[in-house]
Amino acid sequence: MTQFLDYAVPGVPFGCVFALMAVGLVLTYKASGVFNLAFGAQAFVSALAYVSLDQDGWPRWASAVIAVLVIGPLVGVLLDRLLFRRIRTASPLVKLVPSLGLLVALPQLALIIAGSTPSIPPPAIVGDAQRVYLHLGSVPLSGLELSISAATVVVVGGLVLLFRFTPVGLEMRAVVESPRMTELAGVNAGRVSAFAWILSSIMAALAGVLLSPLYSQLDPQNFTVLLVWGVAGAVIGRFASLPLALVGGLALGIAQQVIAGYMPAGVIANGLRPSLPFVVLLVFLPFVRQRQVDDPLSGCDPPSSAAEAAIVGYRPASTVATSEGAVHSVGVWHQRLGALPGSRMTGVLVRRPTATFAWAVGGLAILSALTWVPPDWLLTMNQGVAFAIIFLSLTLLTGMTGQISLCQATFAGLGGFMAGQLANHFGLPIVLGMVAGGLLAAGLGVLVAIPTLRLAGLPLALATLAFALLADNILFPNSWIGNGAGGITLPRPSAGPVSFAAAKPFFLLSLVILAVCAGVVKLVGDGTMGRYLSAVRGSELAANAVGIDVYRLRVLVFALSAALAGVGGALFGSLEGSLSANDFSYQISAVLLVVVAIVGLGSIAGAVVAGVVYTTLQVAVTSLPSRFAGLVAVLFGLATLSYTRHPEGFLDFLSGRVQMSIADRRARRLGPPPGAAGRSDGSVGERPATPDPAVAGTG
Amino acid sequence: MNPVDGRPPPLLAAHGITKLFGGITALDHVDMEVAAGEAVAVVGPNGAGKTTLFNCLFGLEEPDEGSVVFDGRRINRMPVWRRSRLGIGRTFQRVELFEGMTVADHLLVAEQAASGTVRIWRDFVHRGGPSPAELHHVEEVLELLGLTELAGRPVDTLDLGHARLVELGRAMMGTPRLLMLDEPSSGLDAGDTARLSRILGETRQSTGVAVVLVEHDLALVESVVDRLYVLNFGKVLASGPVDDVLSDPEVRRAYLGSTA
Repeated sequence: MTQFLDYAVPGVPFGCVFALMAVGLVLTYKASGVFNLAFGAQAFVSALAYVSLDQDGWPRWASAVIAVLVIGPLVGVLLDRLLFRRIRTASPLVKLVPSLGLLVALPQLALIIAGSTPSIPPPAIVGDAQRVYLHLGSVPLSGLELSISAATVVVVGGLVLLFRFTPVGLEMRAVVESPRMTELAGVNAGRVSAFAWILSSIMAALAGVLLSPLYSQLDPQNFTVLLVWGVAGAVIGRFASLPLALVGGLALGIAQQVIAGYMPAGVIANGLRPSLPFVVLLVFLPFVRQRQVDDPLSGCDPPSSAAEAAIVGYRPASTVATSEGAVHSVGVWHQRLGALPGSRMTGVLVRRPTATFAWAVGGLAILSALTWVPPDWLLTMNQGVAFAIIFLSLTLLTGMTGQISLCQATFAGLGGFMAGQLANHFGLPIVLGMVAGGLLAAGLGVLVAIPTLRLAGLPLALATLAFALLADNILFPNSWIGNGAGGITLPRPSAGPVSFAAAKPFFLLSLVILAVCAGVVKLVGDGTMGRYLSAVRGSELAANAVGIDVYRLRVLVFALSAALAGVGGALFGSLEGSLSANDFSYQISAVLLVVVAIVGLGSIAGAVVAGVVYTTLQVAVTSLPSRFAGLVAVLFGLATLSYTRHPEGFLDFLSGRVQMSIADRRARRLGPPPGAAGRSDGSVGERPATPDPAVAGTG
Repeated sequence: MNPVDGRPPPLLAAHGITKLFGGITALDHVDMEVAAGEAVAVVGPNGAGKTTLFNCLFGLEEPDEGSVVFDGRRINRMPVWRRSRLGIGRTFQRVELFEGMTVADHLLVAEQAASGTVRIWRDFVHRGGPSPAELHHVEEVLELLGLTELAGRPVDTLDLGHARLVELGRAMMGTPRLLMLDEPSSGLDAGDTARLSRILGETRQSTGVAVVLVEHDLALVESVVDRLYVLNFGKVLASGPVDDVLSDPEVRRAYLGSTA
C-alpha cells in the first residue's frame, strides 16, 4: 500500500494538469460545438510567455498572471472570434482541420515571435519547485507538486461556484444543453459561448504554466502529448460531463505513474505509459453519445449544407456542374443514359481546358526535371512525388469517405520500415519491399479499423491519433522495426542490369509508382466503390437499406488508404536512403491532413500538388534564418483560416472559378442552348461550381 | 416451413414482436404475416407503433421479444444491409436520398449493392462500369416510375413527390420480394398521391412484389392493399380484408373516430 502511494502521489500533479485540460476541452466542446485540438498549442503559448517573461526579469507572480489571465484568454477569444464561431455547424472535417492547423502553427508562431526556445528550467509559480515542503505519509511533496495541486483545487472550486451560484453559470449550463433553445429564451448564446472560451483558455494556460517546470526545455511536442492526455480525460467524461472529465484526468495522471512504477524498464514498459490514452480512447469512445442527441432543437439546426457535403468529397467523373445550372453526366457508362433527355453532355467542354492546363504543367515539370533541373531540386521534386502518394491515401480516405485519419504518417513509416528491413535482412528487392510495406500497412489498417471504424467523425480522428502515438512509443523504437531516432537504411532499387540508384532513373520510377497509385485511386473513386462511398456520404441509413455493407466498405477503404501511405513511405525511404521514427512521427499525420485539405481533397491533382508544395516549401524554409524553421507550419496553419470558407480546397476553388468563366463566355458566344426555353428540369439561371452560401442555406 | 394447412408459407412472418422503450411498451406481442405478392397496410393513430414495427421488421431496431421470419429464415439479428440483399426494400417516412447523386445513380447503386458481389477487383478489370443488364434494369425502373426525363438530375433539385418516387425506385432495384413503404404519401398533394397509387399498382402487376404500407391516407390504402392491420397502443386491434376491418365498430371508435 505504501509502495502504491509512493507511485500514486507523484501522479496527482500530472493528474491535475490532465484534468484541467480535459475540463477545458469539454467546456468548449459543449459550449461551442468545436473540439478544440489547438488547446495544446494554447497551453504552450502561455507556458512560453510565462518562461520568457520570467527570464526577462519580471516577478514570477506577475509573469504567471500575465500568461494565465491575459495571454491565455486573449488567444482564446481571438480563436473564437476569427474562426471557431463561424464553423459551429460545419462537418467534422471542416471543424477539425483548422484546430489541427492551429495546434501545429500556434507554437511555431509563438516561437518565431519569442525568438528562441528558453532552455533554463522554468520556476514554479509559488515556492521552490524542488524543495520538499511536507510529507504525505512517507511521500515527499515538492513545491511544484503542491503548487499544481493547489492551483487546480482553486480553479475547480471556482468553476463549481460559478456554475452553481451565478447567472452566467446558469446560462452557460443552458447553452451546453441546447444553444438554440437558450437563444430562444432570450440569452445571447454567442456571449455565453465567448465566456466559456475565456474560461477554458484560462484553464489551458494554467495547465501549460503549471506543467512547464517539469521540462528542461519548452518543446511544443510535450504539449501535444499533454493534449492527448486531456483528450483521453475528456473522453472519459464522454465529452459531456465536466466532473467526469475532471475525475478522468486525475485518474489518468495517477495511473500513468503507477504503471511506470510497477513495470520493469524496457521498450514495452516505456511505451506502455504513453499508450495509455489509446487504450482509454478505445475503451471509452463507444460510450460517447453524439452531442446532438441532447439538444431538443438539434433537428432544427441548419444542416451542414448539401453543397458542402457534395463538394468537399471526391467527385466521381459522372457529375459536373455547368453554368446552365444542371449537372450533367459525362462518365463512360453515362454516355448511354446521357443520351436520355435531361442529361446533356456540355460539361466536358467546360472541364477540358483546366484539365489540359494541368497536364501541360505536369508534363513541363517532368520534362524540366529530366533535363536542366539541378540535382537538389530534383531531389525535392522526387520527395514531392513520394509525399503525393501519401497524400493520395488521404484523398481516398478523407476525400471519398469523409473519415478523418490522424495516423497516415504512421502507416507510411511502417511501410518504409517493412521495406527496409526486408531489403536489409532478407535481400528482398526494394520495389517488392514497397509492395510488402503496403500490404503490412493495409493489414495494420484493418486492425486499427475494426475497433475504431464503428466510430465516425471526431471520435475516429481521436482514436487514430492515439494509435499514432502508440506506434511512436511501442512500435517505432524497436530495432526490428524503426530503430527509434537512429533509423534504418534503405537501398535504391535495381533490376538486374538496370539500376535506379541515380537521381533521374529513380525519379522516373517514382513517377510510375505514383501513376499506378493514382490509377488505383481513380478506379476506386469513379467505379462502383466510389458510387457506394458517395451514397454512404449522402445517407448512411439509406446506403444500408439498399444493401451496402457500410462497415465493411469503410474497413476496405481504410486498409487501401493505409496501403497507399505505406507504399509512399517506402518510396520516400528508398529515395532518402534512410528512414527514422522522426520522419513519420504522429505530428506529421496532422500536418499532412491539414496540407492536403487546404490544397484539395477532391481530386488526384490535389494530392500531387500538395506533395510538391509541401516538400518545396520545406526546402525553401531552410534557406531562411533558423528562427523561421517553423514557418511552413505557420503558413499552413494560418491557411486553415481560409479553408473554412472554401472547404473544397484551393485547387477546386481555382478550377471552379476558371470553369465558370469559361462556361459564361461560351454561353455568351453561343447564345441560349436549343430548347432552353421549354426545359422541364426547371433549372433557372446560373449555379456556380463552388457552393454559394446563400444558395446552400436556402436549398 | 411446409404448408400444413395447404396454404403457402408466408413471405414475411412476425410473431409476438414486443419492443420496450424504457417503461413504454411500443409494441406488445404483435403478429403479422405477409404472403408473397400480397399487399398489406398497417394503419393506426399516431404513436401506435407503426414505424417501430417497421424498424423491427427491417432491422433498424431489435425486438425485445418475438421472431421475424422472412422466406423461412429467422432474421431477428440480421443486419439491415443483409436483409436488403435478401430482397426487402424500404422507403422512409422522412425521405433519405443520397445528396448530390443523380436519379440514375441512385437506382444503379441500389442495383449493384443488391447483388452483394465483391466489387473492387471487378472495378479494376471493368473500369467501374456497370453491366448492360444492370443498366437495362435501371432504365426499366426509370420508365416504370416515369423518371426517365429526370435521370441525370441530382436529387437535391427534385420536389418531394419526385424524391419519394426516386426512393421507391431505389427500393425496387435488385428485384426485391417485399417492399416496405413508410408513409409514402406524407407531404404529397392529391395528384402526386394518385400517381403513386397508380405506380404501385403497376409495379405489383409487373413484378409480383409484396408490399407492406404504413399509411394515413385511407384512399391510397384502399386502392392499393388487400389486407389491413390496425395498430393501437402497440397492439393489433384488428386485421383482415380492408372492408371488413374498416367497418369493425371497435376500429372505427379507436382510429377513425366520429369523422368516419
